[in-house]
Amino acid sequence: MNSSWQREIKAVFLKELNSELRTKSGLITASLFSVVTVVALAYAAYNTSLSGTIAAGLIWVSILFATIVSIPRIFLIEEELGTMDILRLTARPHSIFWGKSLFSLAQSIVTAFLLAGMFVAFVGQRIYDPTLFLVSIFGGSVCLSSAVTLCGSLVAQAANRSALAAAIAVPLLLPVVTMAVGATRGSLGAGFHQQAVNCALGLIAYAIASQAIGPGLFALVWKS
Amino acid sequence: MTHQTVADRFGYTRVVLRVEGLGKRFGDRWLFRELTFEVSQGQSLVVLGPNGSGKSTLLRTLSGLLPPTEGKVHISGDPRLSLGVSSIEMALYPQLTVLEHLEFVASLRDCDPRSDELIARIGLEHARDQVTSKLSTGMKARVKLAMSIQANPKVLILDEPGAALDDKGRELVASIAREQIQRGSLILATNDPSERRLATHELFLAA
Amino acid sequence: MEKLKNLLRPLFFVAFSIVTVWTYIVPDAKGFQYPAMARIFFWHFPCSILLLAFMFTGIYFSFRVFKRVDRGFTSVESAIEKMQWDSRAEAAMELGFIWAILTMVTGILFSLVQWGAWWQWDPRQTSFLIALLIYGGYFALRNSFPDPEKRAHFSGAYCLASALPIFFLVLVYPRLPQVQAVSFHPTNTIMQGQLKGQYGYVTITMLVLMSILSVWLYRLRTRVVLHEIALDYKNGNLEISGRSATPSGVVRPVSVPDENESATERN
Repeated sequence: MNSSWQREIKAVFLKELNSELRTKSGLITASLFSVVTVVALAYAAYNTSLSGTIAAGLIWVSILFATIVSIPRIFLIEEELGTMDILRLTARPHSIFWGKSLFSLAQSIVTAFLLAGMFVAFVGQRIYDPTLFLVSIFGGSVCLSSAVTLCGSLVAQAANRSALAAAIAVPLLLPVVTMAVGATRGSLGAGFHQQAVNCALGLIAYAIASQAIGPGLFALVWKS
Repeated sequence: MTHQTVADRFGYTRVVLRVEGLGKRFGDRWLFRELTFEVSQGQSLVVLGPNGSGKSTLLRTLSGLLPPTEGKVHISGDPRLSLGVSSIEMALYPQLTVLEHLEFVASLRDCDPRSDELIARIGLEHARDQVTSKLSTGMKARVKLAMSIQANPKVLILDEPGAALDDKGRELVASIAREQIQRGSLILATNDPSERRLATHELFLAA
Repeated sequence: MEKLKNLLRPLFFVAFSIVTVWTYIVPDAKGFQYPAMARIFFWHFPCSILLLAFMFTGIYFSFRVFKRVDRGFTSVESAIEKMQWDSRAEAAMELGFIWAILTMVTGILFSLVQWGAWWQWDPRQTSFLIALLIYGGYFALRNSFPDPEKRAHFSGAYCLASALPIFFLVLVYPRLPQVQAVSFHPTNTIMQGQLKGQYGYVTITMLVLMSILSVWLYRLRTRVVLHEIALDYKNGNLEISGRSATPSGVVRPVSVPDENESATERN
């Protein structure tokens, strides 16, 4: 990758980061959401020990919804403010997609680890295979963030964007969640370990594939 | 033609923007169709027409912000550098400062930001570190002008540049426009008679 | 030719009726709770194949929508072509959606009869539910773009984006060993030739007839629309070239006052 691409991607990423740090709206939403979800789950699971499968399912459902909540911040906000034109005039689509995707990746990794960590701590879940746990959370976040960035760009110009974002993102995200649950539950000691490792590998393959097709598809629609 | 360059005198003009059979359709209506023209260095084209005739749409299509339904727009060079656009529709990032805007756009274009020079040119030295949500509409319009001329574009497209600007601002627009005609070419959509006087060519769009 | 066409239609219905009767007279399949009811398979299986076929057709048509975008000169013909590919994609997705619903319905009936529960969360069943959701997302996205060209672009991109999960859900996921171990759906039956004798013949004939039916429906659905788009773009200008007689704007030079400074006079 040559330096001009690096400079552009970095500029988009830093722009997002700066805007986020000044408003902190995304950070506040995500952490509030995480705390509320985990507290509610811990409350519901009080005095019962959750099986690894259930725990993994709960973790990923929470992460899924936290991610969906963040879709509007990626492209909708630009379209609503009318700032998309600046990007269309001065940037190349791939650098926009990569910059935004990296930012939403950073966001979803923070959210996912926050959620999963708090869940494990509050519910007292035992992690049998920490590496697999970390890999599954990380791989899942990569998949979610690229799918969410793409969906964000697709609904940004639609009439009823916020509602639509969830409707079109969920079908694309469900397979990811299935695999992620498969991998995470293995790390929490449920199911066969080999299957969980396969799921984690599948997750990584899916992450690579979706990161590869995302920018290309974005380039097709970004000047529509 | 007013601004004759040496090339013009020898009957040779450098075409910077070429439009072939351009047409744009919204819903089931053609806003314009079969537009074919060339704009060369030293020329300025003023697009005229009543509200709703498609002036802004034409300019957005020329800028590449809208895909044409039909036809082709060709701008010489990398449009990120050779095209500058400023319009009233364009918005700035409310959380970023004036300086950050110029630097951000320069990074995206991969060119020199020229921040100090441009901020002085638009007369916003006192506001360089203010976030744009705190600026007035006229000040925002100046920032947009600065962003549009940052890379010394060959083609400058201005959509109603005088709107929201005070007398000094209009003077700034006029001087930027004249400078642009020396450097390359200018395309302007306006209903303001004083801006209309900048034209070497006119294009009238009927409603 | 016309005569042949008129003959084909009744022939098709006769064939369909014969196969329908045939599904009832084949001997019962073994190894089911209610062997007689296993015949739902004859309807269920072609539906699921067609649902996939139309999904992939839709994805291919969506790919064609974009194929001409970056060719420089956009002619009205290419715009028409793009919109036509888009409406082909829409038609394919609509038919796929219908087959998806029928797959679900027949699947639920089968599950209700044989396994005593209408929904099993069987992995393959869930995969098809997600496919159904993707169809839903596609139509939801289409509905929220009033401008046909934007609609074509965005829904096309969504369709292409859904290729990855669909590919994964339908072709990879059900074949994973850990999924096969728990799934009620037999994956190897057809591949390994366990669908033998009359059962196999009925299934294949049914699949062929239903494919013919879908192609017929698809053609009925698109025949008028494709012409409508072409007509619409030519906007009443029915000259052969499809172009309007007069351009909507002409650039003309102005006789500008002599000096460059004319523009600054007012200041």
